[in-house]
Amino acid sequence: MEIGQHISQRYNQELEDIRSQVLKMGGLVEGQAEGAVKALLERDGDLAKTISKQDYKVNKMEVDIDEECARVIARRQPTASDLRLVIAVVKVITDLERVGDEAAKIASYSIKLAEKKTVTQMYAELEHLSQLVLNMLHDALDAFARLDVEQSLTVISLEKKINTEFNNLSRLLITHMMEDPRHIKNVLRITWCARSLERIGDHSRNICEYVVYLVKGKDIRHTKIDEVLPEYFPDDDEI
Amino acid sequence: MNSTITSTQIIQASLRKRYAKERRFRFFGLLSILISFAFLIVLLFTIISKGLPAFQQTYIKLDVTIDETILGVTKDSEHNALYSASYNKVIKQTLTTMFPDASGRKQKRALKNLVSSSAAYDLRDAVVADPSLLGTTQSFWFLAKDDVDVFMKGKIDRSLPETERRIKDYQLSWIDALLAEDRLEKRFNTVLFTAGDSREPEQAGMKGAIMGSLYTMIITLLISFPIAVASAAYLEEFAPQNNRWVDIIEININNLAAVPSIVFGLLGLAVYINFFGVPRSTPLLGGLVLALMTLPTIIIASRAAIKAVPPSIKEAAVGLGASPVQTLFHHTLPLAMPGILTGTIIGMAQALGETAPLLMIGMVAFVAEVPQGFLDPATVMPVQVYLWSDSPERAFTERTSAAIMILLAFLVVMNLLAIMLRKKFERRW
Amino acid sequence: MTTAVGTLPGTTAATLESADPKPIIEPRSEFDIDISGTVGKPFVDNPKMQSRNCNVFYDDKQAIFDVDLDIGKNEIIALIGPSGCGKSTYLRVFNRMNDTIPICRVTGEHTLDGQDIYAKDQDPVLLRARVGMVFQKPNPFPKSIYDNVAYGARLHGLASNRSELDDLVEASLIKAGLFSEVKDDLQKPGTGLSGGQQQRLCIARAIAVDPEVILMDEPTSALDPIATAVIEELMDDLKTNYTIAIVTHSMQQAARVSQRTAYFHLGKLVEVNDTNQVFTNPEHKLTENYITGRFG
Repeated sequence: MEIGQHISQRYNQELEDIRSQVLKMGGLVEGQAEGAVKALLERDGDLAKTISKQDYKVNKMEVDIDEECARVIARRQPTASDLRLVIAVVKVITDLERVGDEAAKIASYSIKLAEKKTVTQMYAELEHLSQLVLNMLHDALDAFARLDVEQSLTVISLEKKINTEFNNLSRLLITHMMEDPRHIKNVLRITWCARSLERIGDHSRNICEYVVYLVKGKDIRHTKIDEVLPEYFPDDDEI
Repeated sequence: MNSTITSTQIIQASLRKRYAKERRFRFFGLLSILISFAFLIVLLFTIISKGLPAFQQTYIKLDVTIDETILGVTKDSEHNALYSASYNKVIKQTLTTMFPDASGRKQKRALKNLVSSSAAYDLRDAVVADPSLLGTTQSFWFLAKDDVDVFMKGKIDRSLPETERRIKDYQLSWIDALLAEDRLEKRFNTVLFTAGDSREPEQAGMKGAIMGSLYTMIITLLISFPIAVASAAYLEEFAPQNNRWVDIIEININNLAAVPSIVFGLLGLAVYINFFGVPRSTPLLGGLVLALMTLPTIIIASRAAIKAVPPSIKEAAVGLGASPVQTLFHHTLPLAMPGILTGTIIGMAQALGETAPLLMIGMVAFVAEVPQGFLDPATVMPVQVYLWSDSPERAFTERTSAAIMILLAFLVVMNLLAIMLRKKFERRW
Repeated sequence: MTTAVGTLPGTTAATLESADPKPIIEPRSEFDIDISGTVGKPFVDNPKMQSRNCNVFYDDKQAIFDVDLDIGKNEIIALIGPSGCGKSTYLRVFNRMNDTIPICRVTGEHTLDGQDIYAKDQDPVLLRARVGMVFQKPNPFPKSIYDNVAYGARLHGLASNRSELDDLVEASLIKAGLFSEVKDDLQKPGTGLSGGQQQRLCIARAIAVDPEVILMDEPTSALDPIATAVIEELMDDLKTNYTIAIVTHSMQQAARVSQRTAYFHLGKLVEVNDTNQVFTNPEHKLTENYITGRFG
């Protein structure tokens, strides 16, 4: 998967631009997610407000990259790996934008939660989940940057773990709500934050699926990961 | 470096020189065209100015008393007797009566030579056609003898001393007398087109040569065209490529075009006359020899024309399932036809103007009869020109030029034909 | 923006560099790439024409090397590849057009409906009636439109009388999508039509012989995009009755019209696959390089 080597240097440049823009957007989104989680866990209202305000940057980047992709499709009629790259990029940035949205949501709940000092006991679990999700997002973006199928598949398989973690957290939060109905409002907010974190995990998985599509030309969405793995790693029993 | 002088300046500096060169080249081109055009004009002018008088002929009006006693026949005589009667004497009698002052053998002969020897034949033909003319006096227009004709056309200067003139003083007085009575007249020379060759200039015509050329050309065309087109088509379309024998044949055909034409005459003499026994001096023989000479010209032109047919057309035909021969006849030859016809007509024009090979095969003989077919002795137009130019009589000079004019006219017509055929058959693809 | 990137441990410039470990322009390596054998699916279940071990020589120069390929019934197969890769030469193997070039020699087995088309008793004239051809340059005969279409039928005696011939000409022109444009001008010269119409006339001419296979050698390379689109649409219609093999320089055209695509490189068949796959995920590196416009 070399973007270079096209006879047209400009074409090289255009594809390279798109890719680096996506990486930049990925960095921005990752920063947003980290900031939101930090604001949530550290009850930093100001940081939360900043994060919430910065979401427009992500949206703008999505629009810009979308436009650039449309231009390349119209002018270059990309085929094969170039086509897959452009399609993958269009999809990746959609997911990245959603991640940005989820981060903004977390930030907005964090503003409310920062005012209350009562629900800190749930934060340990929340911190664990958020660390998992942030790692997953980071690895997904890394896999995209390096076009690393192996790492992508690892990230995809992480999703189960996140789901388990989210379910555990939900049960815990429900217990809290039953214990003290006065806290239901805040606990619900925390649940929604957890839900957003779980969504970020889903989006990270999607990004990794696009990486597999981009590199291998195979669409593995809506396929069980157990079916996919033997195809790419026939000699490998685990992962 | 010369960074101050831009390339635009360099180009500008050289422009003048370049344009001057171009102008010089154009000037020389125009000059050469003018020179060749001038030569052409001079040639045409001399030929036409010399030849034009030949299209007129002087006639003399005589009132002939057709005396039965001199002829020794009557109205009731047999056809043969009427035919073989001595009309000469009647003419002589008429002239003697008109100019009784002629004395001595020399003057009497000169008197008789005012009119052409054909006058007696004209008279005979009239009497045979209508025997009732016998015993009457009739006016006839007879051909004037060549000397009178030449004089009438102003070619003999009266002011010269008598000894240096062909027309003597006594002849002059007769002519003046005839002129005074309006008995001399110049008319269009139909004899030139209706008669065969003759020793008497006033009776000599081109018809024999024209017919001879026509028959010869027919033979040449019939033989050379099919053979040449077939060989060209074979060499272009079917002969194996890069074959040594094919190369040798090609080189030889090209060389054949450069062989001096007289060699073909020798070949004809050796092969056709001595080996095949083709009768000499006939259009058949001439056509065969000229066909040999024309072949390479037509072959080369036809090959070029066939080669110029776009291969895409041939491919299309082959792709539809046409066999090679079908492709040739349906597409290649029709498309090449304008070029082939042009080449053919150029070859035929060349053959029409050819003399040398015909000299070798006896077509230079004096043939008074107009040939009636391919096996009659004949001569052709350029040979006729050669024969007349060789004749001593003054009147043949202008006839030679007239013959050249007729020959040129035929060539022009053939070239026009070539252009017309090309236009007609030419198709764009 | 830079601050956002700066806050990211790991996804910084270091990652960007590691993402592209190879230099942008590699040294040309076309001779390192293995093209022995064909990848993909050169064989189909219901072949119309088959070619096995095809080698073509011009004198002692080899133009096609050991090509195995099937052309399926009622499919459009596109042959693509760089100039001089032998795709046109290979196409002409199927109706023995190479016979007209004396120095050209074809070896291997080639069949049409299982019959050997290079057999001694196979008449090339009959073969070319069954396997028609449309050429790069529209090449109507310098005759009327009617005579152009009727030529093949007359040649093979397909129509017994004038009215049958009229019907055949009309039907062929209708199939080629040209009839409505020329129905009043059938006696006008075919060379007077526009380029696209001329090419459709050539297609009508090929159809009139009622072939089973139509070979097209870059049929639209001389045409403008509109005329090209009309011809491509026509090919799609023809597919139901005929089998079509098309050589094209335009990869987009191959992508648009064909079901399968074969990629030739230096006289070798590198890859044959479903067109969808070739243009989204080609198997062979050379195919990928060619269709994406890369070096190599």
